[in-house]
Formats: sequence, structure tokens, C-alpha cells
Amino acid sequence: MKCLLLANESAEVLFYWTDTEFEQRVQEQYGVSQEEGERLPAFEDSINTLFAPIIISCSTMVDRLGDNYTSFSTENNHIYVLHQFEECLYIAVNGDGDETEEDLKRKIFVMKKLTEIMFGMVTFSGALLRKELRPQDTEQRNRLWKKLRSLLETYSRLRENDQSFLVEAVERLIHPTLCEQCIEFLERRLVQQINSNMDRMGEEVLHAFILVHTKLLAFYSSRNASNLYSSDLLALIILVQDLYPSKINLDETSEELESSSVPEVFYTPEPSPPERESVRQRGDSPPVFQFVDPDVQMAEDSLQTLEAPTPDPSAPSRVFLESKECPMPHSMYCLPLWPGITLVLLTKIPNSHVATSVCYFLEAFVKLEKRLCEGHEGAAAMRGQPSVQEQRSRLEKLIKTWAGMDIQTSQLQNAWTDFKNKAFICCPLCTGSFLQLSAWAAVKKLMDWKDFLLVKSKRNITMEFPGLIHFIYVDRSNGQMIAPSLNVTDRTVSELGKGPLADFIKKKVWSLVATAQRYLQKGYATVTLRDGDYFYCYFLWFENETGYKLEVIDIPSSPDDGAPVGMLTCDYYRKLLRYYSKKHQNEVVKCYELFTVHLGVIPNEYILQHCSQLARKLWEPTRIPLL
Amino acid sequence: MENTSVSVSSILIVILEGKRFGLTANCTSYVFHHISKSSFFFLYDSSKVQEEVDLTRDGIYYFSPEDTPIDQQELLCGQLAGVCRCVSELSSSPVRLLHLRKSKYAVRMKDKFLWALSCVVDIPDVSVCDLLDQLIALFCFYNGPVRQSYQLYSKQELALRWARYLCHLQGGSTELHHIFSCLRTIDSTHIDPLLLLKAALILQACQRCPLVLAGCILYRGRVVSTQMPPALTVKVMVYETQTYSQDFQVTANGLSSLVGSPFSSTATTQVFLMPTELHMLRCPPVDRACRYKSRSFLSKKSSFVRSRLLSRTLSDTPTTDTDSSSLDPTHCPPPSYKTVPSSPRSSLSDELCFSPSPSRVNTPIHSNLMNQSEYFTPDSHVHSTSNGTNLCAVEEHLAGLNIKQDIDANSGSETKSNGLNSDQDIQSEEIKAPANGYEQSNCLDNHSDLDSQIKSEENKLDANNHVTNKNGNGETEEEAKTKSKQINRKLKEKNEPTNTPSPHETLEDTSLVPLVLYQHRVKGLVLALLVEPEFITDHSAREEVHHSSLASLNGLEAHLRNTSPGTPGPPGPYTFAHYDCIQNTLTTNVCGRSVGPQDQAFVKATKLVHSHFSRLDTLQEAIVRNASSAVYGTRTTAQETYFLQQGTPVRNSGSPDPQDSAFSLPRKARLRLLKHGVNLL
Repeated sequence: MKCLLLANESAEVLFYWTDTEFEQRVQEQYGVSQEEGERLPAFEDSINTLFAPIIISCSTMVDRLGDNYTSFSTENNHIYVLHQFEECLYIAVNGDGDETEEDLKRKIFVMKKLTEIMFGMVTFSGALLRKELRPQDTEQRNRLWKKLRSLLETYSRLRENDQSFLVEAVERLIHPTLCEQCIEFLERRLVQQINSNMDRMGEEVLHAFILVHTKLLAFYSSRNASNLYSSDLLALIILVQDLYPSKINLDETSEELESSSVPEVFYTPEPSPPERESVRQRGDSPPVFQFVDPDVQMAEDSLQTLEAPTPDPSAPSRVFLESKECPMPHSMYCLPLWPGITLVLLTKIPNSHVATSVCYFLEAFVKLEKRLCEGHEGAAAMRGQPSVQEQRSRLEKLIKTWAGMDIQTSQLQNAWTDFKNKAFICCPLCTGSFLQLSAWAAVKKLMDWKDFLLVKSKRNITMEFPGLIHFIYVDRSNGQMIAPSLNVTDRTVSELGKGPLADFIKKKVWSLVATAQRYLQKGYATVTLRDGDYFYCYFLWFENETGYKLEVIDIPSSPDDGAPVGMLTCDYYRKLLRYYSKKHQNEVVKCYELFTVHLGVIPNEYILQHCSQLARKLWEPTRIPLL
Repeated sequence: MENTSVSVSSILIVILEGKRFGLTANCTSYVFHHISKSSFFFLYDSSKVQEEVDLTRDGIYYFSPEDTPIDQQELLCGQLAGVCRCVSELSSSPVRLLHLRKSKYAVRMKDKFLWALSCVVDIPDVSVCDLLDQLIALFCFYNGPVRQSYQLYSKQELALRWARYLCHLQGGSTELHHIFSCLRTIDSTHIDPLLLLKAALILQACQRCPLVLAGCILYRGRVVSTQMPPALTVKVMVYETQTYSQDFQVTANGLSSLVGSPFSSTATTQVFLMPTELHMLRCPPVDRACRYKSRSFLSKKSSFVRSRLLSRTLSDTPTTDTDSSSLDPTHCPPPSYKTVPSSPRSSLSDELCFSPSPSRVNTPIHSNLMNQSEYFTPDSHVHSTSNGTNLCAVEEHLAGLNIKQDIDANSGSETKSNGLNSDQDIQSEEIKAPANGYEQSNCLDNHSDLDSQIKSEENKLDANNHVTNKNGNGETEEEAKTKSKQINRKLKEKNEPTNTPSPHETLEDTSLVPLVLYQHRVKGLVLALLVEPEFITDHSAREEVHHSSLASLNGLEAHLRNTSPGTPGPPGPYTFAHYDCIQNTLTTNVCGRSVGPQDQAFVKATKLVHSHFSRLDTLQEAIVRNASSAVYGTRTTAQETYFLQQGTPVRNSGSPDPQDSAFSLPRKARLRLLKHGVNLL
């Protein structure tokens, strides 16, 4: 029984997602009419009614007590987690015991991250976000919500099954030779070629990478590209997985699961089924991209692109990536090479610099509005900030510049919309043929490796320590992790075998990570636990670039209502590294984590020795350059 | 566009709902930003706030701190009650815990009542929930079912009691005590073990009287020895802890002046036990059939029994008598009771109910808590005997307890009832009769709040039933019916029948069983016994218990008084806490309030690990380490132990290292704690 809800301060639901159980419960409890056609609005309405008292109470608490609810739990262990981002209130509910309070909080933060990736700076303003998330047109709204729901479900699936989403770090396929070759390929054959093509209408490929399922095979960034943060990369993997869900962790058993437990409200998009089928049938023959003509209607608004009913490989998605100044709009092209293997290109769009100015003014106006609302007592606080006049002249200047760019500037409101459209307008980077060419090249390149890669993605690394059951090693400085696979439902047997034991261990690993993160949040960087027949260790430490272990520091404990520990949301580790680096200004500081599960019968000394050896051994693979 | 109209209407509904839930607070612009600073406790009755015109304040039965502005009280109660109700409807289950950014609330919802107790966020959830449950249980222990109590007594009177219970539970000496919500015991390391044995023997001796169920001995607010489960012991301790807690130095000083004078008193209090608690007392794990044996002696030849009881050792326990029927937990008074010929004890209800009842309703209430020690002085006895003057009633009233008190000299020959009981007593008196109609009225209507009250009254009656029967006051069914109707009417007058029937209305509350708490005080020492209600009227039993224990108590008191409290030795190079989950006791070398940084680190880690233990049953041990400290925690089903080695840790990177000193903590803890009687092997 799960639910996630976004509402604004006037208790208007901006988005909701429920599973069937929750929906049924609500309908049973409140006898919502289930007439065909009327079903959806009626359900939305009852959701609205149900949560409104909570939402209203939240704003009362904030206004009058300066405090707010963060969670409720009931005697039958239902959990409600609430979090307010600016004017937007997120509520996540679980009533089936699958998720903890921490999980729900994380889900909320991930949802926030997904909206940021999709809408960028719009999320800065409640009113604008409302407009985006709740379009007047019901049809349009349904399409958008469907997309968001699908993303949320994809995330939940990954979080539940994929270790890289458990620890929120990207997993790399460890094969230095192939990796190197691929990087070279990406550089010479793709990025350089495309960027030198005059046909690209001002677009420029900044990043290119190849994913095997959720694992990263190769990554290349062009020279003038800014850094792609791990949080963004993880979010992009969710987007890719949503477009082309890999069945690696799900296989037959989970297909059953899907059909039984996943209700129709789960709008799992069918990722161009004919293509996939044809690929399978033809076995080894290289896949062909059957380019559908770009959606004719797209253009007006970027949202349209997002809502395209079937993903068209040549139709990019607009994504906003973190940069120092503001969320920068990029185009993302996803090219499935084989089922499970995807090539992703991130391009800079022609007018993206507009975003910086828009962002600046948006922020300034939000601040200004706040100050005006608070009255003029904030005059003192205004010092140090540009005055209204200053802002105005700056804006006028900007508008003049833009006027030169054929942008309508009659009214500020209009201007904003237009700027936004201008900034958001998607022009497909490549014509079908060009893209096809690059894809072909990639396919040819990887042809011989395909099967190997797919297997490798399941058995990335093996272990040889007796008594060691599982480990996860994470390099937080580059946001990458290494772990033996835990494919519980896969046909191929993982290191742990399959069936109940593997499932049991998987649960244990998941709870170990959650526990370690909870202790880390309170400032504990080393934790060992004896739980039943197993012994768990968690270590977090810092090294300099040469691998010299740096002295431990007291990690500040963060408040309970802060962002969850992780990288996907509000990158905790980036902050941690920044905090540590203050004390080590002269060196490059790296941060590592190791989680291990041992059999409890092994004496502690041996376990600790294992851990120390393991850390040394695993240090090497992470040295593989990514460029 | 249809959508918009729908959502508008839904918002309207919401606003109305909100009003009903008390969500739309009175719109004063007062902002309470300091609110998170203190800890709140309140009891709110949502059945009093149903209509739009109803004021939130009418639903507030008790709010602590009491000097909180009423606006703020209304705001908190209204919001929390509204939100909790909304959530519990959504989940069809009462809310248990509510987190805010700056504080958290343990919540209990029952029969339209909502209790909420707040604390700072870093106290483990399990601790604050325990605390709230203890608080409610404490109230019910002394006052019976909550709804009924509020029908019998005014809010102000009960506020005094809530305040006292709250103070008792929150007055624990250290933060660790709060975390484990454990009993405060005397420091056994500084006491001759023989004294503890002696205390245990006194309790066992008292149990020879068949009416005595279990007891405990307290010295200056700390447990010396107890036969009761921890949950009961903590309830019995209320007044003692308060008298001697550090927060009440004044009171304690007042008492110390009394210590010099030869001073001893006994008191009895009506208390209410949950059936499970009673079951535990009546059917303890050890075979106590011997007691029933002696009971039969008592019935035949009480004088003989008494002489036997006066000198006893553990070894003179009579051979067991396997009378299985007498062990039946559900039917409390063993059959042997009934064979007792009408003894001097006429009946409990006689004493309880026919006593003069000084007017209760319009008595002025003291603004502050009464000095407890005063209550036990002979002076107060003088008031007591000059019974009838309202002043006396008020005095006793203020004690917050329906204690009947008498002094050694009188040795229970006459029992005075004080004002507090009066109202209730009258009702009991009236209800007593329709015992036979019990079943019947039970089926009549099962819904209203009134019903629950009646049931509780009936239960009370039921417990006394045998007495009535014994006296041969058989009544016809007709009479019973009429009386029951009268009661109904009376109750209706007291309580407007606005309450809608609630499906949640459990019988838990109403099935509370009345018992009597007997306290015998010798200066700082208190013998507290839970006894069958008959005990009050059974003169010979009281005499027996009193006389048989008096000398031993005096001796024990003298010994304990002369035992130096023992200055805590120099703090070792380590910090530890050992919690006994069975006895609910804590042994620690973290002292009092002045905690150093190491102790703070220890307490912080202990909180986290304890919380982890409470969530995960299979977890056996944990080591958590940050840069400045490492804490080792281990637990079994019976205990939890936490250990921190003091001193600056060696330079360390935090990377996996077998040489890391943190991993030697288990070994060190095993060695170091042996001398504290903690065995971790």
C-alpha cells in the first residue's frame, strides 16, 4: 500500500502516484464511484479530500509554530513521511512494510530530483512548478503524470533490485581493455565527428556514454564540457531505464510478479516493442534502427517531447543538469544498441546560455517577492543585494539583447514564457541518417563483445575470501561502486546461488546499507554489527590521491529531517568531501566506503583482516580512467 | 473544467472537515516559535469538539506545562488531534508517533481521547512511547478508567494528578534513565547484601497473609526489593520518588526533620490493575499453593496462624497443597474466602462506600502540589479524625490520592474515608445492588460511553461481588433492573450523551480490577503491598501484616539509614551502562547531570544503538565509532550493555584495520565490567 503525493500550499494536488492497493483502499473506504470515464477525476478528488486536512495543518504549523510534521506512524505500522520544499509539500505513504521511513524520505528526495532534471529552474518557483506539473489540459496532465509515475516506478524497481541504486553510485564494468577501446571510439568516432558536422544546428555533444543495463561501460566528455555530477548520471540512468527497461533483474519470475502485482495504473511504457522483438528474433544480426519520423506535434513546449507516447530514439529528451550557476538545459539522446545496451549522448543546446540569465532573474524575483511579502522591514537585509532598480536595468538590458534574438518581449510574463520556450525548444540534433550512422558504428564496435558484456554485467567481480558473503566497495569521490552481483531471480546463478538464501542475503545487504547510512548521518564512520549468524562491517575513510590513508575526522551529524545520505539526492558525499577538504587544502581528497557481510562464526580478527585486504585489492580497479 | 469545480467542492469539504477536526485554529496572529523548547503533554477529548461551535479548549482535559497560553494549547491540541484523526482514518489505525522537525510526540488514541507526549528528537522513539504508556497506565492505576475519572472528578483535580505522574516519570536522574525508562534502585554495591535479603524476607513474610498479593520495599524513593513486575513497581513508587527526587529538595528537607522523631504510619489506597497484571500477581511463576494452605488455616484458626506468622524463616514454608482450583487466575478470590464466616471485616464496599462523604465538588484547590511528607505526619491524622470538616477533606484531597489513612495507634480499627472517594463511593453503593443484573445490562446496549462507565462500575462491583453475596444481600432481578436504570439516569445527568459510539471502544479500560495498595512507612522506608480489597476490612489480617513486619522494617530502616550513601569512586577509565530488561534496572557509572564530553558521546551512541536493538531483534552486538569515541553495545534477551573506553584514541584513518583499538572493546568490556557484576561471557 503505497502512495506519493505532491501538493502546494493551497492543498492542491500537483501530482500523485498510488499503487492499486492504496487506490482500492481509498475506494473501499470512501465508496468513490467507479463509473467508467469518471473514475480518474473522482479518485483524484478523493485523494485531494483525504490529504487536505494534513496539508492544511502543515501550513498552519509552519505559520504559527515555525515547525512542521516530518512523519507519522500508526499502530499498524503505516508510515507517512512529509517534506516541504519551498511551497511544495511532498507526502509519501507506506502501509505494507516494504519501505522504512528513511526509504520514503529518499523517495521524496528522488522525486524532487526527477522534477529538477525534467523542469530545471522551474522548480525554483511554486507557481511555475504548479503550471508545469498541473497543466490545465486534462489530456496533457494525464500524459505528464503518466510519465512521472513511470519514472517513479522505475526508480523504485532499481532501488529495490540494483545495488548501484542501493548505495547510489554508478557501477562500472571492469574490463580495462574494452573500456579503453570504447572510450576511444566515443571520442574519435562519435563526439568528434558529430561536433565537426556543420549540420548540427548549434548543438554540441558534451558527454557520451555506453550503459550495459545500469552499469557503465565507457564514458567520454568533450574538452569544453563541464563536470557531469554523479547525482545527474544516476538520474539519467533512471531516465534511460524508464525508456528501455532492462529485464536483467526481473527475468521470468519477476515478469510474473509484474503481471500479478503491478496494476494497470502502473503506466509502464512499452519501449518500442516491435524493435525489441525483431532484434530478438534475428538473434545475432545487428539491430536496425527503425527511425520513426519525429513527432510532428512536438515543438511548442518541451513537455510534448517528454510525453511522446513511444520513445523515438532520434527524439531527444530535455534534461536539466547541475552546473555551478544553474540547472543547464541539455538534450539527451538514447540509442538502444541491443536490449540492455544503450548509447547515451548529452548535447548542449544552442540557446542554453539564456538559462543562466533566466535563472538569475528568476531567483532575484523570487527573493524580491519574498521581501515584498515580508514587508519593508527587510530593508536592512537588502543591503548587499542588488536593489530593485538595479535589477530592473539589468533585466532591460538583457531583454534588449534578447530582442536582437527575435524574442518577443512585450510583457515580463510573456517574456518569461517565451524565454522558457526558447530555452526549451528542442531541435533534434541529428537527422535520422546521421544518428543511424553513429549507432551503426557503435554496434559494429561492440558486436563481438555483446554477449560478453551482458554476462559480465551480471558477474562483474568475484571474491575469494572464505567466509565473506558479500561486499560493496564505493569510491565516493567519483561516485562509483564495485560489488559482486546479487541476481536473486536471474536464471544464471550468481555467487550466492539463487532462491531463498540469495534473497535473504539481499535483504541483509539492503538493511546493512540503510543502517550504515543512519549511523553515518549521526557521525559514525565505522560500524560493526553481529546480527544473527552474520557479521557486518561498514567503514568510511579518506585517502589522498596516492592512496595514503588520511586521518579520521569528526563528521558532523546531520538533523533527522535533512536530506538522506546518498548521491542521487542532495549529494551528501560531495558535501562531506568539501568539508574534509577544508582541512586538507593542499591535497586531493578521496573518500571510500566498504560494506561487508561475513559469516558470524569467523573470528573478528580474520574478518577485519579480510576487510583490510579487500580494501587494498579493490583500490586498483577504481583507478581505471574514465576520462 | 469539471475538474476544477470538483476540486473546489472538495476544498470546501476539507475546510469544513478541518473545522470539525479543529484544524482551522483561531486566527490570532500569535506565533509560537519558542514552542519546541519545552516538552508538552496533553490529554484531549475530541468528543467534546464535534460541532463547529465547539471550542477546542473544551476538549483539552489536561495540558502541561500548565502555564502554556491557552491559544497555544488550542493550536497544538487542535492541529495534532486533527491530523492524527485524519491519518488514523486513512490507515484505519491509531497514530502512535508523530515527528516534527524540532520535536517528536508519542501518541495514544483511544475512545476519542488523545494523549500526546513530546520530547526532543534525539530520544529514541521506543523510549518516548514507553514513557507515554507508563504515564497513562499510572493514571489508570490510581484513578481507574479515564473517562470515568473525568466523570467523577473535575479537570482541576485530575490535573494535579497528571502533573504528579508526569513529574514522577520525567524526574529520572539521568538521561540514560529516560532512555531505558527504568526503575530507580538503591545502589546495591554500597549495601550489605544481607539487608537486601532481609528486605526480600519481609516481603515474603507479608505474603503469608493470603490477602497480600505482592509487595515492594522502597527506601528514599528507590527500590530496595520488589516482588512485582517492573511496570507495577514503578506505579507504586509514584509518591516516593517524588518525595525524594532531586527536583523536590524542599520537600525532602521537610521530611528530614521528621526523620528524627519516631514515626510510622500506614495508609491504604484504592488502585486499579489490568487483568494481565492481576493475573501475574495471582499466578506467579513460582508455586504459591502454600499460601492457600495457610489461608485455610486462617479461616479456621486465625490466632494460630498469626502466632505462626510472627516467627518464620524461608524453610518453614508449609508443604504444598495442590489445590488447583485456587490457582485459577480468572476467578480471583479463592473458594476458601467464602468459607470465612462473617468476619470483622464487614466488606470492602461497606467501608468504602458508606463512609461520610465530604462535599467534593466545590472545594478550593491548592495551586501547587502538596507537600507529600506532610501527608504522612500524625498531624494529618488529626485532620483525618476530625473528619467531616471540609478543611480536612480538602487537605487530603490535595494529596491527590484516595488514601485512607490510619495511624499505628489505631492500627486500623477505624478507617476514615476522605473526600476524594466520596462521589465514586456513592455510586458504587448504588451500583452494588444490581449485581445480578450485570449480564443483562451488559447486553442491553453496548455502544455509548455511558455504557462503558456502567460496565466499569459493574466490574468494580463484580470484584466485590462475593462480599455482597456472602452477606446474603440477595436482590431480585426486578430490583436490580430498577437500580440499574437509576444509575443510568444518574450517569446521563453527569455526562451529556453527545458522544457517538466508537467502534474503537475497547473493554481494556473498563475491565480494570480494583485492588488496594497498602503502604507502611517507617521514616524513609516504605513497605508497599498490593492487597485484595478485603484486606482493608479484615482487621486481623492487617494486624498480622503490620505487626509481623513492623520490627523488621524498623531494623531495616535503621541499617539503611546508617549505610553511607557511598561516594562514587573515582570514575574509571571507561564508561558503561548495563540495563537489565527483566528487572528494568540500570547500572551505570555515568553520574548525575554533570556529564563530560566523553559521557555525552557515550549517551549519544547508547541512544542510537538502543534504538537499533529495539528495532532489530536479531542484532546481538554493535560497535560504532567516530573520530573521538568508540562505543560497544551488546545484548541478550535479558540485558543490554554499553561500554566506552575513555582516553584519546590513537591516530586512526577509519579504514579497515585489525589493529584498530575500537575492535578490542568487547574484550575490554568483558574484563572491566566483571567487577560491576556484569557478566558478558
